[in-house]
Amino acid sequence: MLEEIFSLDGLSFRFPEDEDKTLTNISFSVHRGERLVLTGPSGCGKSTFLYLLNRLYPDNCDGLVDGKIILFGKTAEDYAPGEINHRIATVFQDPDSQFCMPTVEEELAFTLENLQTPFAQMEPRITAVLEETGLAHLRNTVIQSLSGGMKQRVATACALIMEPEVLLLDEPLSHLDPYTALQFVHWLEDLQQASNLTIVTVEHRLDCWGSFFEREIQLGYDGRIVADQTFIPRQPILFPERQSAAQPITLLLTQGLSVTMKDKQLLDPLEFSVSQGEVVAIAGPNGSGKSTLVKALCGIYKPKTGTIRADGIGYVPQSPEYLFLTQSVQQEVAFSGASSQSELNGLMASLRLEEVREAHPFAISHGQKRRVAIAAMLADKKPVLLMDEPTSGQDDDALLELFNLIDQRSREGTSFLIVTHDMEFAAGLADSVILIKDGHMTGKFPANEVWSNEKLLASHHLLAPKGVVRPAKSFA
Amino acid sequence: MLKSWKLKEVVLMSLFAVVFGIVYLLFVHAANIWAAVIGPLAYEWMFGIWFIVSIICMYIIRKPGAAFLSETMAATIEVLIGNAVGPRLILSGVIQGLGAEAVFALTGYKHFNILVLMLAGIGSAVFSFVYGYFVSGYAALDPSFVALMFTIRVLSGAIIAGIGGKYIGDALLATGSLRGYAIAHAKKGDVNA
Amino acid sequence: MNPSVKFILVTLSMLVIAFFFNPWTPLLFWLGIILLQLTMSHINWKLWLLFMLPFSIGAFGYLWTTVVFGAETGGTIIWSFAGIDVTEEQWARALSLAFRVMAFSTLSLLFAFTTDPVKFIMSLMQQMKLSPKLSYGVMVGYQFLPVMKDEFTQIQQAQRLRGAETKKYSWQRLLSMRRVLIPMLAGAVRKAERSAFAMEARGFTGEPRSAFYHPVQIDRTDWLMSGIFLILLLTSCIGGSWLS
Ligand SMILES: Nc1ncnc2c1ncn2[C@@H]1O[C@H](COP(=O)(O)OP(=O)(O)OP(=O)(O)O)[C@@H](O)[C@H]1O
Ligand SMILES: Nc1ncnc2c1ncn2[C@@H]1O[C@H](COP(=O)(O)OP(=O)(O)OP(=O)(O)O)[C@@H](O)[C@H]1O
Ligand SMILES: [Mg+2]
Ligand SMILES: [Mg+2]
Repeated sequence: MLEEIFSLDGLSFRFPEDEDKTLTNISFSVHRGERLVLTGPSGCGKSTFLYLLNRLYPDNCDGLVDGKIILFGKTAEDYAPGEINHRIATVFQDPDSQFCMPTVEEELAFTLENLQTPFAQMEPRITAVLEETGLAHLRNTVIQSLSGGMKQRVATACALIMEPEVLLLDEPLSHLDPYTALQFVHWLEDLQQASNLTIVTVEHRLDCWGSFFEREIQLGYDGRIVADQTFIPRQPILFPERQSAAQPITLLLTQGLSVTMKDKQLLDPLEFSVSQGEVVAIAGPNGSGKSTLVKALCGIYKPKTGTIRADGIGYVPQSPEYLFLTQSVQQEVAFSGASSQSELNGLMASLRLEEVREAHPFAISHGQKRRVAIAAMLADKKPVLLMDEPTSGQDDDALLELFNLIDQRSREGTSFLIVTHDMEFAAGLADSVILIKDGHMTGKFPANEVWSNEKLLASHHLLAPKGVVRPAKSFA
Repeated sequence: MLKSWKLKEVVLMSLFAVVFGIVYLLFVHAANIWAAVIGPLAYEWMFGIWFIVSIICMYIIRKPGAAFLSETMAATIEVLIGNAVGPRLILSGVIQGLGAEAVFALTGYKHFNILVLMLAGIGSAVFSFVYGYFVSGYAALDPSFVALMFTIRVLSGAIIAGIGGKYIGDALLATGSLRGYAIAHAKKGDVNA
Repeated sequence: MNPSVKFILVTLSMLVIAFFFNPWTPLLFWLGIILLQLTMSHINWKLWLLFMLPFSIGAFGYLWTTVVFGAETGGTIIWSFAGIDVTEEQWARALSLAFRVMAFSTLSLLFAFTTDPVKFIMSLMQQMKLSPKLSYGVMVGYQFLPVMKDEFTQIQQAQRLRGAETKKYSWQRLLSMRRVLIPMLAGAVRKAERSAFAMEARGFTGEPRSAFYHPVQIDRTDWLMSGIFLILLLTSCIGGSWLS
């Protein structure tokens, strides 16, 4: 008989300020060595559920729990804060704030100190885990100066150094470049087999995982279990065919643009131009300088050298909250005054923002915030629009809606530059692709040239999008 | 005392300290220049910005010690980020925090209305003034000048720290990010919140 | 040198010096610290002078306000200027306060320039038995500082991008600080929560730990330096009183 790790019986959970339950009547158990994926629409309570498993909730939010949670044969309430976490390691959704020490080494040491590891063992364990995760060169780097994807990898290393029995992962791939994501899955596979680790993962993009999982639990909008079944590998969503809308008029021109920060060259001088209605994808490995490039283009970073010529640039940052100025979603979208009321209503409807019209922009779910920022920027009608990872954390419906909006606007003459790790989204939309590596722009290529060039893709940590290889195959 | 504190509340105080540390530094630069012209009076009116951390934290967290701890942490962080006033600042932080804490303690940590918050700001001002009187040697100054300094500091404590603190706390509450803290629970149907 | 020991020494001497109103004690002490600094530490003097500048200005401010607004003391008038009579005692006090500011600032800078912040917190926890909850709480705040600074400018820039105009008058600008401050604080709340969760998820229970990766110790230099420091303090106290 397999050992039971978790066992839930009639579990319900409600936040103290809410009327409705976030999770209702959840019952199932997990055995040692199981690989489980938790799916469901954005905002349905997946992260909340993980917090209940590692015992951060209900203590930290004064939430109300009904039913039973049994962890390693003991009721959850009987553990002290932090105690269960010696056996259950967690990697959180947000890369920016899961560290408390300055450097990678100190962060790992902090974890070991918490586990009361003897001094003599600390050094070898840190070295070993850094080797294993391929992060040895970052040992003395200041964590806050890493890119989003690199931080996520450091967080994983911190979870592994604990040598846990259970690993909880909250959308672990959403900030990784496609190649690293694939590596991550392989490597988790090996690790799981070697140590019979139990893995519970929350994930929207199931196609990246191949046949890694053996079981899937689906949550519905109302926080109930919809299905508990054997995992079936998924195909990525197919975006509709799209015609390029690029016109031979240049809207954005940069020359000799470079960025340095604290004497470190983040971007080598680069130049390119973008024409009216063109959709450009920006892709490259984690930490290559994609976010840096868009920040420089819209003036948030001061370029060291070079010129940028454009008649107005809009920007959807990776953290959308930077943009918010007003007290409600509706005012936020209408802020610029460049769109008519009916246009605004159309935007709100297609981005599913109707139900949160009156809410404060800070008080909505992460995916919704991103969509508010996108709506506000579209309503602003700037001729050039920059988007930094607009797809991360969005469910399939939202992705399709976003695709349609960008397609429509590009036909009306707006140019887009989109940073993304989502190859299918990029392949569906982009007319051209800017590839960046180690702060150096490899070049701006027509899109279909990139997707079929294995060498170019591999050297930039990209994978051919599934579904776009079709035309090439049909020629063969 | 620390047992009843959640980790997230401790970290919250520390991050607020950082934000106001930055704000405060912006003002200190301005004041340093003024200080040469009008003397120590230049620092008086902005003391309130410094007390505001303890008021906001207490307003949000509502636990015994919130004012004292946050003010002390704020001062410590200020020292860490290389404030040239140095270790002495930690001591003044302790004193200011105690001032606000005393007022909240007197109300039994039950009332957090505008009046109490202003009084707490004044508490910080009084405590810090007494301490300053001793360490910076205000005794050597003309009594009427000292009285002027005192008045400005008390006003600053009441207005900037007290009223400003409540204003910021309420604005923050409206953003919905304070779910899960005492202030959010208290607002529901609590008249004297 | 151990940061906690240094911290205690610095605080102690500041409190002691505050009892003396003669000009000589702070002066002697000030000179002593500079001498110590010259002989025992490696300091970037250019930077040091730059930092000392505002304090010198501040000290000057103290000097003349004390002279002008000083308490009436009586005694011999040593000089008058523009209708203000300055007595000997007033002058001595003014000098004393000014030197005190200089001495304190130098001491503080000495601390700031020679102390590694991380080591300071670690030492507070290891030697002064500060609760790990508080120590690491402060630690998180400290390491978010550069992030917050970046965020401060990024929020401003992003909002300007959206056409939030900058105000002309400084009081208006002060009011529109709110626009930047509230997002920053809201961000701070969320960061605090997530960092706390992350710490707990790393198995942090708030209990004192059994072993440290970077132990901070008190060794012979600490005792030696403490001795030198205390002698300096004592000499300037006695010498100062004797000279005046
Ligand atoms: N501290 C809180 N207080 C009250 N409500 C909350 C709190 N945190 C989250 N919620 C709400 O609970 C619901 C579930 O949130 P949760 O973060 O678990 O969603 P999720 O399934 O992880 O979504 P995503 O896929 O976007 O990460 C959301 O509607 C959210 O607004
Ligand atoms: N404030 C900073 N100080 C020093 N280095 C920085 C800073 N910000 C970014 N960097 C460095 O610049 C490089 C590029 O970072 P950037 O955020 O642009 O990467 P990215 O391509 O967006 O990566 P990701 O896909 O992981 O988001 C990284 O190596 C990062 O470490
Ligand atoms: Mg989630
Ligand atoms: Mg990025």
